[in-house]
Amino acid sequence: MISIQTEDVDIGALINASKRYGTGAVVVFNGVVRDDDITEMELEAYEDVATQELALIAKDATEQFRLLHVDIIHRIGRLKVGENILIIVVAAGHREEAYAGSRFIIEGIKAGVPIWKKELTKEGGRWVPGEHGHGTRKTS
Amino acid sequence: MTVRIRFFAGFRELFGADIVTDMSAGMTLISLVTTQTKKNPVGYAAIFDEKGAFREFVILMKNSKRIDIADAAITPVSDGDEIAVFPPVAGG
Repeated sequence: MISIQTEDVDIGALINASKRYGTGAVVVFNGVVRDDDITEMELEAYEDVATQELALIAKDATEQFRLLHVDIIHRIGRLKVGENILIIVVAAGHREEAYAGSRFIIEGIKAGVPIWKKELTKEGGRWVPGEHGHGTRKTS
Repeated sequence: MTVRIRFFAGFRELFGADIVTDMSAGMTLISLVTTQTKKNPVGYAAIFDEKGAFREFVILMKNSKRIDIADAAITPVSDGDEIAVFPPVAGG
């Protein structure tokens, strides 16, 4: 399942559903709202494009690391401290592929998928700065 | 000719979620966004520098495809196009 949604998911059910013939390892990445002196977090996405890009990252990861199954669920809307933001479930034959595939997916999301976070505090709010994003300006 | 410009995150707070506007033939990505944002000086200054160039962190898309800001002046905009303007992403 590739999804951008407001609702939470049952991670245990996703793990069980990810197992198929040949599975030897399942790796779960679960990003949660950290208590950085915030009251809540507001997440926003360019939904059509973000969903397409998540699907492309999943496809690339599947091919590159011989994954047997991938779920990526990214939540949007207003979330409280401790709530799930992102769930990535990766199944593979062996742990090396499962760990590497999971890492590839989270780094791909961080690098470019159009999703934004705003930390809400008692004083107001602040947009979380991106780690990568640049419109770039060619030098040649 | 009609185009839609979508804004996200901090830019959405400055301009609203989108602007649907008529445009004249021959416009480029930078001329369109300049024309539509100049009415809002604070918002304009968030997107463009003092020389009228896109700030380096601004990300542009045309019909879901990224456009390098260096190509904004040579990228034509056509009837029905969807343009997106947003700051660096921070998902995950």
